[in-house]
Amino acid sequence: MSKEKTKTNNAFISALKKSNMTAIGAVLLLMVIIASVASPYFLDIYNLQSLLRDLAFVGMIGIAQSLLLLVGELDLSVGKIASLCGILSGMMMVNYGLNPWLSLALAMFMGLVFGGINGLIITKLRLNSMVATIGMQGLYGGINLVLTKGKAITGVPENIYILGKGNVGPIPFPFIFCVIVLILVLFMVKKTKTGRYIYAIGNSREAAKILGIKVDKIRMMIYSIVGLISSLAGILYVARLGSAQSAIGENWPMNSIAASVIGGVSLTGGIGNPAGALIGAAIISIIQNMIVLFGVNVYWQSAVSGIVVVIAISFSSISEIVRERKQRKIKLG
Amino acid sequence: MKILEAHNITKLFPGVVALDSVDVSFEPGEIHCVIGENGAGKSTLIKCLTGVYEPEEGEVLVGGENAMKNKSLFDKVAYVPQEIDLFGYMSVAENLFLPYEKSGIKGTVNQKELQKKAVPILEKFRIPVKPEELVKDISVSSQQLLQIARATVHEEYEVLMLDEPTTSLTTSDTQILFEIVKEIKAENKAVIFISHKLEEIFALGDVLTVFRNGKKVAYSKLEEIDIPWVIKQMTGREVNQEQVFYSDKVTDEVLLEVKNLTGERFTDISFELKKGEILGFSGLVGAGRSELMQAIFGYLPVYSGSVTLDGKEWKLGDTNYSVNHGFIYLPEERKKQGILPVLSIRENISISVLDELKSGLNISKKKEDELAQKVIDTYDVKTPGTDKEIQFLSGGNQQKVIIGRAMSCHPKVLVFDEPTKGIDVGTKAEIYRLMKELAEEKEIGIILISSEMEEIKKCSNRIIALYEGRKAGEYDAKADKEAILGAIIGVNS
Repeated sequence: MSKEKTKTNNAFISALKKSNMTAIGAVLLLMVIIASVASPYFLDIYNLQSLLRDLAFVGMIGIAQSLLLLVGELDLSVGKIASLCGILSGMMMVNYGLNPWLSLALAMFMGLVFGGINGLIITKLRLNSMVATIGMQGLYGGINLVLTKGKAITGVPENIYILGKGNVGPIPFPFIFCVIVLILVLFMVKKTKTGRYIYAIGNSREAAKILGIKVDKIRMMIYSIVGLISSLAGILYVARLGSAQSAIGENWPMNSIAASVIGGVSLTGGIGNPAGALIGAAIISIIQNMIVLFGVNVYWQSAVSGIVVVIAISFSSISEIVRERKQRKIKLG
Repeated sequence: MKILEAHNITKLFPGVVALDSVDVSFEPGEIHCVIGENGAGKSTLIKCLTGVYEPEEGEVLVGGENAMKNKSLFDKVAYVPQEIDLFGYMSVAENLFLPYEKSGIKGTVNQKELQKKAVPILEKFRIPVKPEELVKDISVSSQQLLQIARATVHEEYEVLMLDEPTTSLTTSDTQILFEIVKEIKAENKAVIFISHKLEEIFALGDVLTVFRNGKKVAYSKLEEIDIPWVIKQMTGREVNQEQVFYSDKVTDEVLLEVKNLTGERFTDISFELKKGEILGFSGLVGAGRSELMQAIFGYLPVYSGSVTLDGKEWKLGDTNYSVNHGFIYLPEERKKQGILPVLSIRENISISVLDELKSGLNISKKKEDELAQKVIDTYDVKTPGTDKEIQFLSGGNQQKVIIGRAMSCHPKVLVFDEPTKGIDVGTKAEIYRLMKELAEEKEIGIILISSEMEEIKKCSNRIIALYEGRKAGEYDAKADKEAILGAIIGVNS
């Protein structure tokens, strides 16, 4: 084999690797174009702001979820942790008259603790993450109902509204938080030792343990981070609504997984990039936005959004199929 | 008459000519061995002959007909893969007859009837299990034989292709396998036997085809040739078979001391390892060798006993402690426990020493690359670059990367668990030479676990035999092969 051939081969493979991410980016761009052509209201500043505000929440949770998917696990309790932390912050502010900023900080701390509990039972009792978090989401949701009897907590101090409803220039506050979360997570995943260990664990948990990586410690840490990000999303949502409600985060577990998968994160671990999850979240949010803009019948909305999500997921696997076909056909002289 | 033929086939992959104008044919009633180093094109040939790959040029004929036009002809080629791929949670009988359509079972499946039908087949293949047992509960040897039995159940096969069938068989089971293969040959079927083990090829085969770099380089009747000739054809150079690789610089300093260690599959084991020594552990599959080492390493539990390294009390049950304190285990299951498959060679090497590669908070890609390049150069890893995903390297090159990674942690003790499993003769010698060098120059203690008696004898300064989890004897390098063999099968205890 000549040196030249090897080189082109390398360039070819690395181009293919990148193409996954570019393919998703292209889909997003395409959707933006379609949406702006199809509806004159899409590019309206108020619509875009509300889109970014929605996107921020799915995006944050998606980024968190992608971390777990990278080690081959997932957390279905993210939505319930978010709503419980929102409720806790609401109760501290309204019922106990605590300083609102302190309340929010405490609620976030509780999110960290809830995530840590998830991690603890999953690693120590060697539970399957999906089943364990189905159980835990029941528990967190239940505590929520016991505390609130199903009623919303209203009368949240207005000075926290800015976190949810406010903008910096034209950009909604929650979206800025979402970008900060992404930057921090990307730094951890791409630049630090821990990030490498995350990919190693996702590649092979056994190999990682034999390399001396503290596998369980890192898994627990990720669960805690996921809890923390969930609670952040939860309290921002409280600030957005101006009240704490148990219904917050209902669709987040499924949407966050879908966003990650659309963004090219593998369900089996070791492959993907948290930034992909944000692109995936953007695609999901645009779909939902378009359904509203097109005035789709309210009863059809869920069905339509479901179908479009399946199509969006298919894009990354179709590009994979095409790539395999191409690879098979390539002949070198 | 030839039953399976390949005419002038060429198979290309991006950047690689995997098969280059290969002509090969197989006759009924003949055991045709195929040998070649890793990456020589054996696997690609198998995939072309079984219809998995379509070659760019040339044609494959089954019974004289072009099988590329009529894919159903490939059903006459029964292929038994190297790795065991049975359904662990289904019964022996079910595994034997799956997929049911192919075994001529239509409509509903009657378990009792399946089990009745399985009995004569299990007898023919001398598999000592009941048809209703779950596959996960039977021994690895039985699984291997069952896999071969399964391939012969399907319809009218004319060619049986065995890919490294003896890697997980004990010596006595290998004998059984050989008898069975000879019976199949007597039924006038063609047998293709792919193996790295030259002794087995000479014991069993009729003719031999040798591959090197995607080309067929030699074909001969086995009675006309000898082992050195085959090795020369395979590697393109002479390899000295008599060469030994044990360390010449064993010190008196005791490095590792294990006292009365008991764990899940080993009982009351004591031994010492000296600096600069290669200590071999011999035993049958399941004798507890890997379990013992994994327990010292902290991967498996220890019930009682003690370990000291460099005179200091050793903490058990923590792999992180072991790696940081100089005890590294290189696993037998390279694909599952050794490599991080979809990460690059660079990332696979740097993962153990990330602290040393930091610049500020970041991991420096430049330092990472330098380290990876150093490992590639030092250990002669054949790869186009550091960015290649490690799963695309051959087994021997993966092993070298893993050794390089281990050495960059500056270990005191290195455990090699079946380091040459699935690795060809030429690369084997390279791995042996590496072990010798590491023991002599870096003054580390090496523990070698191997099922191959030749390997243990060639490389070890001392040999410890294990039988069913207990120490069955300790021998020096010059000990009698028969004595060690006796110990590992429990004869002289």
